[in-house]
Amino acid sequence: MRTGDEELVAAAQEGNQQAFEELVERHKQKAYHIAFDFCRDREDAKDLSQEAFLKAFVNLKKFDGRSSFYTWFYRILVNLCLDYKRRLKRSPTDSFDETLENQMERSHEPNRPRSPDQQVLAGQISRKVDVALQALPAKQRTAFLLKNHQGLSIKEIAELMQTAEGTVKVHLHRAVTALRHSLAEFV
Amino acid sequence: MAGHGQLLSPCKNLEEDLVLFHYGELPAPEHFSLEQHLSGCANCTAYLKDLSALMPLTIKTDDPPETFWLDYNRELRHKIAATRDKSWWPAKFGAFFQPRLLTAFGAIAVIAVALTLTLGKGVWQSRDLPREDEALMEVLPMAEDLDFFKTMDVLDNLDVLEFMASPEGAA
Repeated sequence: MRTGDEELVAAAQEGNQQAFEELVERHKQKAYHIAFDFCRDREDAKDLSQEAFLKAFVNLKKFDGRSSFYTWFYRILVNLCLDYKRRLKRSPTDSFDETLENQMERSHEPNRPRSPDQQVLAGQISRKVDVALQALPAKQRTAFLLKNHQGLSIKEIAELMQTAEGTVKVHLHRAVTALRHSLAEFV
Repeated sequence: MAGHGQLLSPCKNLEEDLVLFHYGELPAPEHFSLEQHLSGCANCTAYLKDLSALMPLTIKTDDPPETFWLDYNRELRHKIAATRDKSWWPAKFGAFFQPRLLTAFGAIAVIAVALTLTLGKGVWQSRDLPREDEALMEVLPMAEDLDFFKTMDVLDNLDVLEFMASPEGAA
């Protein structure tokens, strides 16, 4: 029978490193993909998700089980991702768009080969989508990415963002409306 | 894929519900009534179609190879080890000042001070006295003894006086 997260957390709190490694094993892919949604860069997504695990490890003794480990951990991760965005805004030399463009080419590599026309169109869409996502306010983008990309429920997003479900719905609605207008040419 | 870019506006009061409907988050009663509305509203239906076409475009997937995950685990293990080494001293030092330990330590200290003051009172007093006082303290009991014997002498004399005052003594 699979041990629950909470039991692993309890064991890790007692100093069992294997238990913590098991938690990493369970959550690393999802953590990585959430971080990738925010930063669109493989190395940065790796660093951000690892930093989240590191923070969780250091603060594990403070985790009191009032929320699930899942919520607690992903809250750490989302906060780090938002900090990352803020840091990027402060350092214009490390352009998000440049990172993004290079990365998008790589991230689409495993897909089937495409005709030159398709590639051009995909590149256009990619750039437009990235610009539109970047233009969203942080909370709207967070709600949108967690819903649209990660498929989290409104309730889960509200817990992660430490806000009311109604507020998440408003953020999501505004994000979707803005993106629909930005991407209207592709309808 | 690229279209004309003309967007139809959905019914304003239903826009938020349409977004939730798209993500399967609309509760059952509203879901049912919205479905009924959609059957007669071209604009709201078009809005949902737009969402179905556009929202998946925003998703970018990245599936790193197996070697990436091996590096990921190895790097994370190193980072955790480095953090543990770095935080060992402050953690141990900090643990000493945890509220519970600090309270216990305080209580032990108070008890120790109280016991020392109570049990070691005589020792402390004699040590604290100046040299002249020490000499006085040695003489004092002897002087008290002397007073005692003097009193006894007086009492003896009283007996003599009483005897003398009595008729037998007078005789």
